[in-house]
Amino acid sequence: MSTRQAGLATMQQARLSLALATALAIGAVAFSWPLFLTPASGVSAATAPLVFALVLPLVLAVVLTELSAGRLDAKTLAMLGVLAAVGTVLRPLSAGTAGFELIFFLIILAGRAYGAAFGFALGAITLFTSALITSGVGPWLPYQMLAAGFVGLFAGLLPKASGRAELALLAGYGVVSAFVYGWLMDFSFWPFALGDGTQLSFDPVASPLANLHRFVLFNLATSMGWNLGRALTNALLIALLGAPLLRLLRRSGRRAQLLAPAIATPTSPE
Amino acid sequence: MITFEQVSFGYPDAVRPVLDRASFEVAEGDLCLVIGPTGSGKSTLLGAINGLVPHFTGGTLAGRVLVDGRDTAHFRPRDLAEVVGYVGQDPVRGFVTDTVTEEVAYGMEQLGIDPVAMRKRVEETLDLLGIAELRNRALIELSGGQQQRVAIAAVLAARPEVLVLDEPTSALDPTAAADVLAAITTLVHEVGLTVVLAEHRLERVMHAADSMLWLPGDGQVVAGAPAEVLARANITPPLAALARTLGWERVPLSVREARRRALAEGLLPSPPPLAPKPVGDPALVATGIEVRYGELVAVNKVDLRLHRGSVTTLLGRNGSGKSSLLWALQGALSRAGEVSVDGLDPHTLSPAQARRVVTLVPQTAADLLYLPSVGAECDLADRDSAVPPGTTAALLARLGVLVEPERDPRDLSEGQQLSLVLAIQLSAAPPVLLLDEPTRGLDYQAKAELAAIISSLAADGMAVLVSTHDVEFAATIGERTLLMADGELIADADTASLLTSSIAYAPQMAKVFAPAAVLTPADVARWLA
Amino acid sequence: MAVERTNTLRSLHPLAWWGWAIGIGIAVSGTTNPLLLALVALAMVVVVLARRSAAPWARSVRAYLVLAAFVIASRMFFQILIGAQTGEIVLFALPELPLPAWAAGIRLGGPVTAEALTATVYDGLRLAVMLLCIGAANSLASPRQALRSVPAALYEASVAVVVALNVAPQLIESGQRVRRARRLRGDANGGLRALGPIALSVLADAIDRSMSLAAGMEARGFARTSGPPANGALAVMLASAMAATLGGFLLLSTDLGLAAGALLVLGLIGTGWGLRRAGRRLAVTRYRPLAWTGRDTLVLSTGLLAAALVLIGAQDALSPGLAALLQPEVFFPSTDPLVWPQLSLAALLVVAAVLAPLPLTRPIRSRVPDAARTDVRIRSLRPQAEVARP
Repeated sequence: MSTRQAGLATMQQARLSLALATALAIGAVAFSWPLFLTPASGVSAATAPLVFALVLPLVLAVVLTELSAGRLDAKTLAMLGVLAAVGTVLRPLSAGTAGFELIFFLIILAGRAYGAAFGFALGAITLFTSALITSGVGPWLPYQMLAAGFVGLFAGLLPKASGRAELALLAGYGVVSAFVYGWLMDFSFWPFALGDGTQLSFDPVASPLANLHRFVLFNLATSMGWNLGRALTNALLIALLGAPLLRLLRRSGRRAQLLAPAIATPTSPE
Repeated sequence: MITFEQVSFGYPDAVRPVLDRASFEVAEGDLCLVIGPTGSGKSTLLGAINGLVPHFTGGTLAGRVLVDGRDTAHFRPRDLAEVVGYVGQDPVRGFVTDTVTEEVAYGMEQLGIDPVAMRKRVEETLDLLGIAELRNRALIELSGGQQQRVAIAAVLAARPEVLVLDEPTSALDPTAAADVLAAITTLVHEVGLTVVLAEHRLERVMHAADSMLWLPGDGQVVAGAPAEVLARANITPPLAALARTLGWERVPLSVREARRRALAEGLLPSPPPLAPKPVGDPALVATGIEVRYGELVAVNKVDLRLHRGSVTTLLGRNGSGKSSLLWALQGALSRAGEVSVDGLDPHTLSPAQARRVVTLVPQTAADLLYLPSVGAECDLADRDSAVPPGTTAALLARLGVLVEPERDPRDLSEGQQLSLVLAIQLSAAPPVLLLDEPTRGLDYQAKAELAAIISSLAADGMAVLVSTHDVEFAATIGERTLLMADGELIADADTASLLTSSIAYAPQMAKVFAPAAVLTPADVARWLA
Repeated sequence: MAVERTNTLRSLHPLAWWGWAIGIGIAVSGTTNPLLLALVALAMVVVVLARRSAAPWARSVRAYLVLAAFVIASRMFFQILIGAQTGEIVLFALPELPLPAWAAGIRLGGPVTAEALTATVYDGLRLAVMLLCIGAANSLASPRQALRSVPAALYEASVAVVVALNVAPQLIESGQRVRRARRLRGDANGGLRALGPIALSVLADAIDRSMSLAAGMEARGFARTSGPPANGALAVMLASAMAATLGGFLLLSTDLGLAAGALLVLGLIGTGWGLRRAGRRLAVTRYRPLAWTGRDTLVLSTGLLAAALVLIGAQDALSPGLAALLQPEVFFPSTDPLVWPQLSLAALLVVAAVLAPLPLTRPIRSRVPDAARTDVRIRSLRPQAEVARP
């Protein structure tokens, strides 16, 4: 690879990192708005998730544009599409059975094997495709895409490890990410889901801490089972299938030469 | 048009190169046939024409490949899209979109062709391949032959000068294969395309070939006129085997050529009249078999007996119900009617018991393999069949496959995979063996080995039923042949009389020496007094 | 230059359907009048039934009706169990159960008032009808057509989605084949232990598949026209996203509604410009691109009109003339004291906007786009009532 190409790759890497960092920051705001919202509100609190549902697609557009720009060669793209198809097939299989969600372990392992950017793209695209097939397009979709993208992103950023340590690390991450994903999704839609007339409702006048207290109670009562189920599913699947799956992904990654630092760099003619 | 200059190619961790200083040229407008046993590097050679090798596959390529004057070292495959159209082995796996017109337009979209021009070209291309009436159909619903033609249309829309096809007919029945090959010859003769085609079943295409590349398997490439190359090659389609038997120097490329020469030389084999062979006891008796999928009746009231120590072949079009019948006989499919093997009905048995009574090797045999190593598969089969450890491995060795137990079954060749599945299924020592389309993707040598295996199994007293499209293969193995159409058994006779009296299912030897009832070159040798 | 377009007998542009449905959704979010909400819901269902295609995604409206009912029921459940009760008309009283202090002093049960319950039902109904609008858009707009009009900047991402949509049914098939084949091997170690190896073999097959697909794409010129990323697009898009976030935040937490709206609009426009600019690195063309027709504009504007009617009506400081015309109080009927909800001219206009696509479009005849039939296989994937838990 020539120095010019290397320079170009570094620049693209920097651009992508910048886009991802912004997505992370804006995502944090969008997911945790009930903490920040101050009392003098002009619009009903229940519409907040809808307002951010308009903003988040812009963030997703920035990241996906950067991801697309020259980084997704045919191999990476085909791999992305096929793994998203696997997730899409797995998701409805698991819906309805409390928290037994089969897509996250795949996103985590792929993020680990192919890097953070691939993990983000896979998370977002899997959720999007699945929504198209199950007609689940709605204001929750940008949240789901972003949150699942982050699950894949951080899986790619985990520290180095190998063998059993790596599996333990990934399984632990599977548990943590399952809870964080659930909490983020529930938190951002909490006022929307519960309305504002109950004692566990979001109260714009109350302090962030009081609101958090209410949310935790509400969430424990209603969603603990889901989150716990998701976490256990992740850990179990990673423990059982993690080693062979990672081997499989890495082997084809080598074959496909897409095991570059983040995402494949175009192969140069020899 | 295509020039290979001292081309060598290999993967870094491989022992020997796939191609070793290959030099040849393919002239413009030729239909060039690439032949060679499995694993001899046919796909690599085809991929090198448009630069997929090595740009896409990795590995190191030395020497020069020039296509229309362009060196593939400096052009990526995507830059050669309007020079070389490449159709991979399984067209369904290469489809990017979901409908016929969109798939045909896809390549042009990538090249940035103006929408107005694109619309026109899509229509022209659809007409050229005779698939205009399929335009809005979903790709996944088309038959194999239609899919293959759509795949060809999809690369032709970019107007390449060279068309590269990797075994376009290996998964097709004879009629569909004929359709696709007719479309290809039209492209050569009417459009003036240069076509490079890899093919296992030469008898279908060799009459249309202008030149031939033979890969013996050691990295060499032997180029030349088809008749000359075939005379030297270790690839023996029936006509080449005939030429060898009769000591002809020039291999006839078509049935017509062979027949004229045979008539001119007054060769007429005279097989003895058929003597009814002693028939063993029935191993499997089926009556009134009926299989339905909703409204569709796939198998309609079939009565059938399979005898111990005999091989029966089952012929019929795609969709005539052959596979459904086999699955129903094995008991894995719900059906009406009765099946009895020594008084047992496999459908009422547990799957584990059923396979000890009737065993089936399905069309995609590799579906049965899912463990990470050959050894693990053999061990599991030993346990499943409750036989002493090592039985399956010994069977596998007897079938002629000697591979390290650590090998991943997915990395084996199709013939080896088939043998492994056969060994696994035979470990249960069932009295009845059903084989569904076992010759898919096998080269001549592997087919000959399979035929020998089947004969020896029958000699051991097993009843074998083989469903196949491959008439030449059917001609070599079975004493008895069944013909299915539209879910019904329409003929049940000894192979020689059934095949020689049919136009569609007659093997090449029968056509050459009609009306003599000979089926294979071996028959010719035997009976040519 | 004449541009080839597909507009013969097709349904509306998917974006027109979505814009219309979102407009109605915004209108719905601005009212709690149960009469109006019920009428809108009814009109929505009528439009969907009359204008949906036979494609599988068009069946989603039932799932959304179930989801809407679930939302209302769960809201009532929580209101009865832990609701803050206002008003005087006590319908019934549950035994009271105060929780310890760590649970924020919550008390379960107690008296349930008609006023509080009515308010909950009104609010739940509003949410339910908003969900129904989303369901209608899911039913009416074809996702495959929408994918064809994705901006060039997102082309690769859209290809990944298209690939995923096409490969999914093939994977199901391959999974079913492997499962069937297991019976032939005796299925001795069935159950969970076999699941792993099967999943792995299907996945390995999927990965092999992706390699063949990539080879095909590469050989047919994929990404051939792509150049280096355009300058400036990233900066503008990042700034736009931040501006929109700030706008959303201001809208929700301050009274600077106008500034917030401006920021949001600025963010949208900036992103649009950025996408267009970033898309220049790619020169792919589209086969028979979807055209935006006058009918699309009309349907979209009826949706936006409905949104505008309700949003303007909800403003506090209306001129007396406008107030008399729009009758803002109709949009929020009082629940304490309870009054019977009324309808106004503006409310009927909203309902008319929901029905507008009926005269503006034609029903899709039984001639299903054949591609849709592929998705029949996908139908097996669809759970009976996929509850997209918000």
